[in-house]
Amino acid sequence: MTAPTQSGESFVDAELSADLAAAALDLARRFHDGATLWVIAPQWEPHAHHVAVEFVHPVIVGKRALPSVALVEPDPVAQARVASRPGDLLLAVASADDPAVLDAMRRAPAWGALTVWIGSGPRPAAGAANHILWVDSDDPMVPATGRFVLMYHLLWELTHVCFEHPGLLKPGADDCTDEVCVTCSDEGRLGEVVLEPVDSQALVRTAKGEEWVDVTLLGDVAPNDLVLIHAGTAITRLEAS
Amino acid sequence: MTTHESDATSFLYPFIDSEETDSKSLLDDLAASARGKAAESARLQRESLTEYADALTAAGTDMAARFLRGGRLYTLGNGGSSTDAATLASLFSRPALGRPVAAWSLAADNAVVTALGNDVGFDLIFKRQIIAHASERDVAIALSTSGNSEDLTTAITEAKQRGLLTIGFSGHDGGRMATAEDLDFCFTVHSQSIHRIQESHAILGYELWSVTQDQMAHQRHSAEQR
Repeated sequence: MTAPTQSGESFVDAELSADLAAAALDLARRFHDGATLWVIAPQWEPHAHHVAVEFVHPVIVGKRALPSVALVEPDPVAQARVASRPGDLLLAVASADDPAVLDAMRRAPAWGALTVWIGSGPRPAAGAANHILWVDSDDPMVPATGRFVLMYHLLWELTHVCFEHPGLLKPGADDCTDEVCVTCSDEGRLGEVVLEPVDSQALVRTAKGEEWVDVTLLGDVAPNDLVLIHAGTAITRLEAS
Repeated sequence: MTTHESDATSFLYPFIDSEETDSKSLLDDLAASARGKAAESARLQRESLTEYADALTAAGTDMAARFLRGGRLYTLGNGGSSTDAATLASLFSRPALGRPVAAWSLAADNAVVTALGNDVGFDLIFKRQIIAHASERDVAIALSTSGNSEDLTTAITEAKQRGLLTIGFSGHDGGRMATAEDLDFCFTVHSQSIHRIQESHAILGYELWSVTQDQMAHQRHSAEQR
């Protein structure tokens, strides 16, 4: 067995510390706006529970309780889908190849959830989550050595520091929240089909809520299909990768 | 939130009020804080492993012998420590490498925990399970950052009377666990931070598992040679 802590080893380097800081500020902003933090860890359920209890019942007296729930039923994607509302947070503790987490992460933009992915081993693809907080080690024992615990402890601690800076909890100038945002108007927005179509109109869920969209171009769509929406029309169906 | 207080005194702290708009300096501070705390986590883990090297070997050797006789491991903890207890149990019962052995967290079953908590009192949620499950060849590991949790110390006393190997992971000054005569081994992590203590509990548990795995292979080998 390899010794997991060699003298002088740095658990958090400059790059990871910057990732943690950016993730914490995003978490604080969303909590400030009323978000709930949903946590999934299909291979290591106790980590999901630890994150939830950390936020709900802080170990430091006087820190505010924040809403967080571990989703540990057999189908975490279904559980996260029905639980999350636009503006919420979804955090996964999982390896990059966990099929349920991969699926939840690609659907989260349609649910309006901002995503954080904690893990070790080979990294997820760039952009697979809003924030990827990774232990770059091939040691399969990493999840049991306290490294993940350290990661979400730090995330919790830094999030609470952000609450001491209320001016920075307002939406950033670069955030695209405006109805007339020129950047987004030409893009396809991600949607997840809620109800199968009637007269070529299907109810679809996007980051902004539910809307009826025209699915004539796609023919049949089924609930839970992921589609790209442009100008009230579903233009592409996204297949599972 | 203390909005009113911060309004009243905000003129004293021009950069800590609601007019702050540039996040760069905050992000730099957060990143530096993360690196500092991570360095302390690593230092405390190394210090704890060094301090308890001999005791971890002795405890892991005893555990291996018990597992080879068909013994089981029960882990106990409250709150965040209950989740760390569950992680430790699954390290033993379904490790990514090595030989799995029977282990589970006594906080894992909501029906049992709420039944006992409701009917006989929270302090007995673990003790009653020890009475129900345990035999003398088993092992109990209790995790408490304070070392003072009543439900754990009560269960450990019961476990010791029944012949189990009893191990405590504690923190701060060790609390009641540090002086408990019914603990065969007590690993106290010397820190004032609950977070850092939990991170060191994880590495101590990992080392215990590692010694146990090595010893199970070794002891089995010795038995074959005889």
